[in-house]
Amino acid sequence: MAKPIPSRRQFLAAIGNLTSAGWIAMNWPQIAAAAEHAGHGAPDTTAHTTLTTLSAAEAAEVDAIANQIVPGGATPGARDAHVIYFIDNALGSFFAAQLPSFRKGLVEFGSAYAARNGAGAPFSAAPEAQQISWLHEVDKTPFFMAVRRLTVLGLIASPKYGGNYDGVGSKLIGVEDRHVWTPPFGYYDKDYAGFEPYPGTKPYTA
Amino acid sequence: MDRKTYKTSETVDFVIVGSGASGGIIARELSRAGNSVVVMEQGPRMTPGDFEHDELKYRYLSGITNNPATNPQSFRKDPSQKAERTGSNALTYARIVGGSSAHFNANFWRLHEIDFIEGSRLGPIAGASLVDWPITYAELEPYYTKVEWEVGVSGLAGASPFDPWRSKPYPMPPLPVKSSGVLFERGGRKLGLHPYPSPMAINSMFYKGRPACVQCGLCGGYGCEVKAKSSSVWTVIPEAEATGLCEVRAESYVFRIGMNPAGRATGVHYYDHDRKEQFQKARAVVVCANGAETPKLLLNSATSAAPQGLANSSGAVGRYLMFNKGGGAQARFENPLNEYRGANVTRVIHDFYDSDPKRGFYGGGGFDARSGGPINWGQNVPKDTAAWGPEFKEYLESYTYWMSCSGHGTSLAQETNRVDIDPELKDAWGVPAMRVTYKDHPDDLKHANWQVQRAAEIMDAAGAKQIVAEPVGEARGGVHLLGTCRMGNDPATSVIDKHHRTHDVKNLFLCDGSSMVTSGRGQPTLTIEALAFRAGEHIAQFARANEI
Repeated sequence: MAKPIPSRRQFLAAIGNLTSAGWIAMNWPQIAAAAEHAGHGAPDTTAHTTLTTLSAAEAAEVDAIANQIVPGGATPGARDAHVIYFIDNALGSFFAAQLPSFRKGLVEFGSAYAARNGAGAPFSAAPEAQQISWLHEVDKTPFFMAVRRLTVLGLIASPKYGGNYDGVGSKLIGVEDRHVWTPPFGYYDKDYAGFEPYPGTKPYTA
Repeated sequence: MDRKTYKTSETVDFVIVGSGASGGIIARELSRAGNSVVVMEQGPRMTPGDFEHDELKYRYLSGITNNPATNPQSFRKDPSQKAERTGSNALTYARIVGGSSAHFNANFWRLHEIDFIEGSRLGPIAGASLVDWPITYAELEPYYTKVEWEVGVSGLAGASPFDPWRSKPYPMPPLPVKSSGVLFERGGRKLGLHPYPSPMAINSMFYKGRPACVQCGLCGGYGCEVKAKSSSVWTVIPEAEATGLCEVRAESYVFRIGMNPAGRATGVHYYDHDRKEQFQKARAVVVCANGAETPKLLLNSATSAAPQGLANSSGAVGRYLMFNKGGGAQARFENPLNEYRGANVTRVIHDFYDSDPKRGFYGGGGFDARSGGPINWGQNVPKDTAAWGPEFKEYLESYTYWMSCSGHGTSLAQETNRVDIDPELKDAWGVPAMRVTYKDHPDDLKHANWQVQRAAEIMDAAGAKQIVAEPVGEARGGVHLLGTCRMGNDPATSVIDKHHRTHDVKNLFLCDGSSMVTSGRGQPTLTIEALAFRAGEHIAQFARANEI
């Protein structure tokens, strides 16, 4: 879920020593609108939450692969981030050109798995250890690489595309979704003493 | 504000093709000088609210850049090969009002004095065309200063012992340092180098009606929705329009320059928003479409009198394509840096700017501390790190602990590296598409590998826990598109003169990255903008003197 933009008070406090508060006050509606459009406004209500491209059986297989690429556990994984809805949405829209080869790869993946393990149950129904073992055998194939690529995209991309549900992917990588930051930004700039000029130089400002 | 509009049947003084770093400035200078101006821009005009914090859209879906689906290119390494169309374009640039100045990282380095005279100092180099510029640093210095003050650049003058001389300081103090800058500075100083605050075309304070940066962290590849980044769309274009003499015509794709039998440009043929062909009449044409689109337009404007392409009697149009080759290293530290916050770059090192013959190859450059977006970062894993599973997940979780030490360097001009027209491929408008031929000069590869080693040393001195040297591969494209209509005094070997007038067509001028004679060391936009202020001044003088 996207966080709301900072409050007007927070925003002014954040940049108070860097810019004109008067300008900000005058232009607040524009900045707020820009921030909202930039992905920091109200929660996105258009996220994809149903399958529209892949069949349920196809989605189950892809979801199982994705969840081994970024497994859940103590912290959320691909399944918790609803990566499958991103993949389904992507292959039905902006990556539609990849759908035929993706489907072909999925069929080949299933066939090879069945040839090795028997046709009785799909990959997604296998115990975790068996899934991992099989993926080690196929993780150089173009199909696996495509699922991996889509999984990372779906984990981190904007929730409006269907993945990164509730921002769990962003949280996983440590990214806090905000529009405005002020120093210190990280651990190492907290105690920076300021730029020390080099011998022989004379820095000067306007 | 009511914006000025012109009818296509009106003969305006100037049509400017492209609204980016150079086009916006020349539009301002010519309209302020009293000329009627129409700026043609292929892409749409976006408002602050149109820019999104959407890495997928901007990095993977050509949100504001040339789209390979509609603006395809073909690529080959060698003229003997057949160029192939691939899923991504070799040459990338923004396709919106403001051009690539809308989505740049905003690193604003000046060229140094040596950049203009390397041909006579270091040439010749086998396989390359390393020549002097027809102008010197001293001639361009006032215009560098003009960019810094008129467009808005933050920085600390005099901080680097290697900086060229300057007539004025920066108008704004440097942006606040990030953790990557602190570590980079720590490592550099430990090695006896001289890191200093990076000059950035981003407001560090309220300046010229625009606010300070809010440190959202999304500069490179994104538009700035608070207008703190000094992009043409927020700076010179509104000033040009405020004259009441300049129209910016968005979604207008110029595909051919009109010529009359006397060999003069008469205007431009373009497709409008509805893909309907139009013709805008003009007394003179200034092409500022970037180092890829400018040669493409000239080559697609061939006439019976100029069958090789317009302004191409030298054969140099499209040739000598240069990027900025470089090498670097990523490094992981003990504590979080949170590089996704704040302007992308805050410290830079220019100790290795000059080419040093003792290294055994040509090449020089600068280093900076920077970061990349998480999606792109997450697609690649260091060698020996699992690409999936729990170890990969742990790698993803370490995102905020990483930074890049990036080298930005020289690319040598080579006659065979070029943009020309693909014999078969056409774009979505039916316009013949560009074909890119590019192969790194051996010295460029050697220098990039040398930079990787220096970057790793800096990160090691900074105390990195893990260092990943970035492999140097052969270039398959770039975003700094330079040299393809080079400036020079000799019409037999260059396309434009030192005032940006084409040698062949009196009322046709070019100014953008294509004008550059050498590549510099990266971050060419400040130089492109300085050239634009200078060109705008000269072209306005020519117009006043009725010499166009």
